[in-house]
Amino acid sequence: MNKKKADLNKIGQVTVLVYVVCLLVFTWTAWSQIQNSRIRGGVYPVIAIVLLLLIILYILHLKNCQKKEKKSIGLDFIETVRKYKFLMEQLISRDFKIKYKRSILGVFWSFLNPLLMMLVQYVVFSKLFDLRGMGITHYAIYLLCGIITWNGFSDCATQAMHAITGNASLITKVYVPKYIYPVTKVLSAGINLLLSMVPLLLVTFIYGLFNGLYLTKAIFLIPIALIFVIVFTIGVGFLLSSLMVFFHDVEFLWGVFSMMWMYATPIIYGIDLLRGKAEWLVMLMEFNPMYHYVSFMRTIIIDGCSPALSEYVICGAFSLGMLIIGAFVFKKTQDKFILYI
Amino acid sequence: MREIREDITMIDVQDVSMRFMMSNDKIGSLKEMVTQLIKGKIKFKEFWALRDVDFQVKKGEVVGIIGRNGAGKSTILKIISGIMKPTKGRVVRNGNIVPMLELGSGFDFDLSGRENVFLNGAILGYSKEFLMEKFDEILEFSELGEFIEMPIRNYSSGMMMRLAFSIATVVEPEILIVDEILAVGDENFQRKSRQRMMELMSGGTTVLFVSHNMDQIREMCNRVVWLDGGTVRMIGETKEVCDAYKL
Repeated sequence: MNKKKADLNKIGQVTVLVYVVCLLVFTWTAWSQIQNSRIRGGVYPVIAIVLLLLIILYILHLKNCQKKEKKSIGLDFIETVRKYKFLMEQLISRDFKIKYKRSILGVFWSFLNPLLMMLVQYVVFSKLFDLRGMGITHYAIYLLCGIITWNGFSDCATQAMHAITGNASLITKVYVPKYIYPVTKVLSAGINLLLSMVPLLLVTFIYGLFNGLYLTKAIFLIPIALIFVIVFTIGVGFLLSSLMVFFHDVEFLWGVFSMMWMYATPIIYGIDLLRGKAEWLVMLMEFNPMYHYVSFMRTIIIDGCSPALSEYVICGAFSLGMLIIGAFVFKKTQDKFILYI
Repeated sequence: MREIREDITMIDVQDVSMRFMMSNDKIGSLKEMVTQLIKGKIKFKEFWALRDVDFQVKKGEVVGIIGRNGAGKSTILKIISGIMKPTKGRVVRNGNIVPMLELGSGFDFDLSGRENVFLNGAILGYSKEFLMEKFDEILEFSELGEFIEMPIRNYSSGMMMRLAFSIATVVEPEILIVDEILAVGDENFQRKSRQRMMELMSGGTTVLFVSHNMDQIREMCNRVVWLDGGTVRMIGETKEVCDAYKL
């Protein structure tokens, strides 16, 4: 098979291009937030350029490593991605294809599911709650944002939990880096999350026509929100899938835990409901990553503006932190998988 | 005859030992684990599946591995192909390894034959271009014809085996690991598949071959490793080792 080395020139160019595009979009959509934040307009370009320089320097460093055949984490990563890209594609397309293979509406369920859930919950809870008192204006859209983000997360995590045990027949017979299994599970379930953006935007648009809620340029920030959620979920997936190998109880524990987590996250209610009654829960909410992701999404869709810059930092830190914890546990335990599955 | 390059080592097995910890009962739940820990009841029994196994395979060789059930043949294959990590020692590999899988593991029953060719091929480490190029060959060898577009849950077991075999043997690996020669399907296909295996193994690639069939070992291998109770009992020329094994 091909032993060619990765073409770092091309990868470098693409990375820089992607960075510049992201930066431009971000600056354009989040300009007012940048203006209002502590770093102000003056420092912002400096940070942007320093980051760009860092990226370029790192790529040059990788090229140097490649030339001298030195080892480096970045280079290893690029090589494995290149080597197993095709396998990952195949695994993702398999998971995605068989999910709806035998249903008549097929992929339509990805659109329909969140809408139907939103409808049911809207009918029930709009009567139960004092929406005004919770400071929620567009409850239908509020619900939809929450449901889609939460379901995306919980679907992906549940799928990833079974990634190792479900592929036991492969893992015991052929060598593939094991982290590929949970990652592909999250990504294939992540396609659903991506697809559910269609009903979200569509419904918001139609709803907005009658209720004066307009989509703004902030929707270009949705990909950032999705990346935060996906990275976070990959971390959770690593953790769950490796624990699952040793204790099958994790499956049932996770069922209960994720339900608890869902109710602890303001998806159907507003956080103002808790104020005055349970202040400690409001405090605790700051440590609930899902609360931040859901709010992030709602700010983009309902408020039509970029979240405060601090939210980016918090969300990013949660995602990265979870990824590191998950990857650490997975790496520590992966050699033992084969003895237990 | 085959060309053996003594100067190029393809697989270097260096003092490999593998230890399994056997608990009295396999602990399958958190509760059990905790209660057992409190009682101080978890005792592990050590079991060495392999002890200080050490041998090299040169480029172009066909090396047979023989031994009784439980001698550690499968374990050493798993360690060589990288599925298991040895407790001690290490294995240096100098090329890509393609294992002859148990046929059909990795098939997804809801996908069509065609989709499964690509899925299974990817699992075996083939590239996309390679599979595209070889697809017709696979199809032809499997004799599936138009059924290739059907979900394989509708296949007969013979059809499934034919497809699996065709995918598994389309390879051109640098190192091939064969766990028993596979002969599947009806009489005609069995002859065809056996011939295909022989071609593959005699094609100049390095082969590790595990079998209980001594006639095949004698026919195919240049060298034989005899494993007994996890250690190398004997290693050397095919005839010598096979004669000693028979006794």
